Formats: sequence, structure tokens, C-alpha cells
Amino acid sequence: MTHRPYTPWLFLLPGLAVSLLFVIFPFLNMIVLSFTDASALGGGQFTGVDNFVRMAQDPKFWVAARNSLLYMVGVVPPLVLLPLLIAMLAQKVVPGIGIFRTAFFTPVIASAVVVGLIWTWLLDSRGLVNNVVEALGGTRIGFLTDSTLLLISSMVVTVWRGLGYYMVIYLAALANVPKDLHEAAMVDGAGPIRRFWSVTVPALRPTMVLVAALSAVNGFRVFSEIYLLSGGSGGPGGASTTMVLLIQSVGRGLTGEVGYASALSFVLFVILLGLLLVTLKLNRREEQL
Amino acid sequence: MKRRTFLAGLAAVPVAGCGLSSNTTSNSSASGQVTGEITFQTWSLKPKYTDYVNGVVDAFQKQHQGTTVKWVDQPADGYLAKVMADASAGSLPDVINVPPDLSFPLAKAGQLVDLDQELKDAKPEYLENAWQAFEIPGKGGCYGFPWYLNTGPVFYNKALFQQAGLDPNKPPANFKELEQQALQLAQKKVAMLGQTPTIADFGLYGVKLFDNDKFTFNEAKGVEFVESYKRMYDAGALIPEALTQNYTGSGAKFMAQQTALSPGSAYDLGKFKTDAPSLYANIGITKPITNTGSANMFLHGVSVPKSSKNQATALAFGRFLTNAENQVKFAKLASIFPSTSKGGDDPYFTTEDGSDEARVRVAAAKQLKTAVNYTPVQFSDQMREALLQQLADAMLGKKSPKQALDDAVNECNRLLK
Repeated sequence: MTHRPYTPWLFLLPGLAVSLLFVIFPFLNMIVLSFTDASALGGGQFTGVDNFVRMAQDPKFWVAARNSLLYMVGVVPPLVLLPLLIAMLAQKVVPGIGIFRTAFFTPVIASAVVVGLIWTWLLDSRGLVNNVVEALGGTRIGFLTDSTLLLISSMVVTVWRGLGYYMVIYLAALANVPKDLHEAAMVDGAGPIRRFWSVTVPALRPTMVLVAALSAVNGFRVFSEIYLLSGGSGGPGGASTTMVLLIQSVGRGLTGEVGYASALSFVLFVILLGLLLVTLKLNRREEQL
Repeated sequence: MKRRTFLAGLAAVPVAGCGLSSNTTSNSSASGQVTGEITFQTWSLKPKYTDYVNGVVDAFQKQHQGTTVKWVDQPADGYLAKVMADASAGSLPDVINVPPDLSFPLAKAGQLVDLDQELKDAKPEYLENAWQAFEIPGKGGCYGFPWYLNTGPVFYNKALFQQAGLDPNKPPANFKELEQQALQLAQKKVAMLGQTPTIADFGLYGVKLFDNDKFTFNEAKGVEFVESYKRMYDAGALIPEALTQNYTGSGAKFMAQQTALSPGSAYDLGKFKTDAPSLYANIGITKPITNTGSANMFLHGVSVPKSSKNQATALAFGRFLTNAENQVKFAKLASIFPSTSKGGDDPYFTTEDGSDEARVRVAAAKQLKTAVNYTPVQFSDQMREALLQQLADAMLGKKSPKQALDDAVNECNRLLK
């Protein structure tokens, strides 16, 4: 059989074409646009680094960056730990475990809009949660009307939605933890908690780093949860706006400032790239140890 | 540096979205022959009004042999994104359904046909205030055939009024009474309103919104208006969600009987009847609250893009669709009103039959003669958000009403450029 050097490229071509057209080209275009005053209609002019100077002086940008950072810090620890605990429970082979696993995975496949609506009904000032609080003699809590509580409520939804997804990743990793390690630890008299910290956690560390990286990136670029819970407003006075929400708000519609929105996207990209590089470094150090 | 167009025909950036393209102007002349195929795009009229629109299309095709009108309907959700994508690519449909605030950026970018120039005799066929809504203020030109209009009364919940010890037959007639009654309701833990004022509310209060190419709603009267809202907010006369709510969200709270008063239209009355029967049983209907004597008006229109390859047919269809006969037929189906100078005298809009619907309809039709589209066409979505956020800061006491309005006006004027 003759070897044709271009054959591998033929296999790559469809995927490459899609990536070039829908990822690489728009990405490069976004970088170009970030140095212009482009709008949704008509051309733009190159404005140098004006958009970035404006960003540095724009209080909305700093509020959004701070909120995104807080969001990331708020969702990563629960999203690293809780799915692990659930995965350990779901790993057990007991009657009806399938229902349990499905229940935890359902929020992952549920539409973000439906999830947002359900939580809005729950947390509204006249919603189910507040009705229970009032029935118990408490005063109504502004889950969706106080900018801080809105961020926290949104984090809760993100964690709730992410549990099932990361649980599946952990389930796969748990299957690879050698059973004899657990058995040896049991022989040495280690209890379940001790075995968790001394056997399970070290064996799963690379997976935990992966989950931390994924949840950090997703947390930093959160959109649907905060958009839906705040009714698209970013909270009272826009005080709960996050980076992607700000980009959407600046760039949307026929009157959108596409140049500035692109500059914000570019900065978001650089931040996320930085995050991923840090994770990569951590992972490498882990492998060397 | 010269105005430059680069990377035309952009694909969408995942988060930011973008688009630069040249304005494609076809050689087609508005005075050409009415023949050939055109595409007509509507805003969420299917499936409820499918028969009506098909009827208009058939009648037009019969009147102008050799023409074909291809009707496409876009759902309301994503309509703006579709128009934006088409406009960026220079491929807008030949006749497009747009409200004034959407026609404005397109007209400003030179993408729409000027009806004042191409159809000099069309203007008298429409209500003056409706025609004006599609003009670019200060620059002239009209960029859309006015289509359907709406205005409406103020609805209030008689049961909540009664619960707070107010006379259910004496709803507020002006903004002063609105505040007085809202404060009284708040004492009984009943919220009067579901949202902070919109730009149109400032207009109804009598605030000068726009002057000399600049927004001016931070004038003393505007500050006075926000101060009144601040007093109501502090007393609990606005629901907590009011700070982030739009018209739809606020309407839903009124339907859920969480607020006592809400502006609406004949369309809303039908919705209350089917979706909120317990509210409908207690519904009070009163005149719009205004300091100017004029009510607010909402309208839709149809525009013809310059990129249309068949402008003559597109213009003829736009005019046919919005003529008095077709508009009156549509109005009877859809709880809306015609924007033509003649349609309004149809007995349907002038005679009551004792029902609530007819009462609202006749009152609204009367109101429309002097109604004003208070939302300036320049007022973009970003400006609406800026106003909402600044008002929230004022209500929360983070800024004084004056400071909040100054900041909102500055941001709106910056966005104007």
C-alpha cells in the first residue's frame, strides 16, 4: 500500500475547517476589534489602546472583575469537594443507586433557562423559600434583590448544577484507585476518614486539580445563572455584574459597542489563560513529586 | 484615519459578538416597477395572525400581478440578534417589521430608505405623531411606515386598595396622588409599584428628555420625580425587585397581585381575564397618569432597507400593509390600533357595548389622538440599563437623586456619540 503524506490532513480537514471558521477566525477578529471603536453597524476606526485605557478607568469593569474573582473563589472549593463525597456515595453498589446517580446528574442536562426560572421562583421575595422563612417567624430575605446575596444565590445554583458533572469525573477516577491500597490501610487499622485522607485524596489529586481548573474557569466566566437570577440586570445598580455579563451588556444589539466589548473579551481571555497556566504548572509539579 | 471597514462578513465571537461590514446599497430604484419577489419579515406574528398576514399578502399579489411576497416570521426572542446579523451582513429582508428604537440605529447607519424622499405623498395617510416616531430628530427623513399602535389605561387592584383602606373608586389621577396613595398602601404592607420609572415615565411627568442633541432628563423636574420615587421606595411602596425589573417583570408581579397598580393595554386586559381570573374580578381601570395631558404610545412599523434589490415592490407592499383598511382589520383581531389618519373613525373604536374590553378600547382610541411616543428614538438598550442602574443606586441611597440622574445623563450622552 502506498503512503500518501496528505492522508492525515484529509482526516483533519473537517474539524480544522470548523475550528478555523468558528473559533480561530472570530478569535483573531476579536483581537483586531478590541483596538477599534467598532459598533454593530458600519465600520470602526483603529483607536490604539483607548479601549484598554477606558477599561482601567471604568468602575463597571472593576466591579465585574471583582465579582468574577469572588465567584470563582466561592464555587471552586465546594465544586472540588462535594462532588467527590457524592461520587464516593454513588460508587457503592446498593439497590436503587441508579436513581441516586441520575438525580445528581439531572441538573447538568437541564436547560439553564429552566434551572434559572425554578431558582428564581424559589428565591424570589415572595418565593417558596421566603414563604417558609416567614412562616417560621423570620423576615423575608432579599436573595435576589441584595447584590451580595444575589451573587451567593447564584453561586449556590452553579454548585448545584455542577455537582453531577464533576461527580462523573470523580467516579471514573475512583474506579482507578487500587483496591489493595484500601485493603492495606484497613489491615493497618485505618478508619474510613483516615482512608479518605490518606488513600483516596492522594490518588485523586490530579483529578482534583483538573476539577479545580475546570470549575475555576467556568466560575470566572459565569453568565447564565447570574443573568437569569437578576433578570438580565446584573443586580441592583449593576453591582452583581460579572465579566461576561458586562461584555454582553456592552456589546449587545444594534447599538452595542463592539470594540469595547471585544477589548473586555480579550482581557477575559488573558485572565483565563493565566489561570490555566497556573493549573498546568501545579499539575506538572504534582507529577514531579 | 479614514473610516475603514475590515474583515467584512464576520462570524460571531462566542462572547462579545461583533460585526463590521460595508453598507450594501443596491442599484434598485424606489420608482421602479412593482414586480418580482420580496421578503417580508414580521416580529412574532405566527401562528396567531397567520391567516391575517397571508390574507394581506394574497391581496397584494392579486393587486400587483407578477409580485411574490415571501413572508418570514421571527420569534420575539432573538429578533434583535437576527436583525443585527442581517444588517451586519447587508442582507436585511426587503420589508422588515421594526419599532422606532430599532429603525433609528439602522437609519443612522444609512441602511434604510427615506420615505419622505421616495414617497412624498405617503405622510398624510398616517397620524402625525406616528409618522414623527420614525423620523430622525433634527435631521428629518422618515424611515418606516407606522404600523400598529398601542396605548392604554392604568390598571389597579381594587381589592388591595380596599385592604389598605383606600377608596377603590378613587385611583390616583396624577403623580402627586400616586405618591400619597402609595405611601398609604405601604403602611399596610401593600406595594403600589413594580418598577422604578422608565424614560417614558419621565416624559409623562413633564420632564424634558432630549434637547439640542443631548439628553436633559436630569433637569430639576426630573430630580423632583426621582425624589418622589425615593420616598415611595423607602416606605416600601415599591417591591424589592423594582430595582432590577423591566416592564414585563413588573407586569407579572401585578398579575401575581404583589403590586397594586400597573400601566397596561387592551391586550393586557385579555391576559388578566384568562391568566389571572382572581385579579380580573377586582380589576380597576383608570386613565393614564400624566402631567402633560398626553398618554404614552407604543408603536411598530415596517422599514425598507436600501439593500433591497426590489425597492419599488418593497415600498408598495409596506404602504399596502399599513393602509387604513388592512390596519383596521388587524386592529380588530389583535387589541391594537391603526396608525392611519382614517382608520380610527371606524365604529369599532368609537362605540362601547358595555364590556370592559370595549371601554378600554374606546378610551385608548381617544387617547391615541394626542398620545406621544415618549421614549426618544435615540434611547438605546444600553441607555435603558444605565438609567435603571443609576435609579437603583438612588433608591438604595448610594447616590443622591440629582447625582444619579447626572450620571445617567452623562452615560446616555456618551453613548449617543
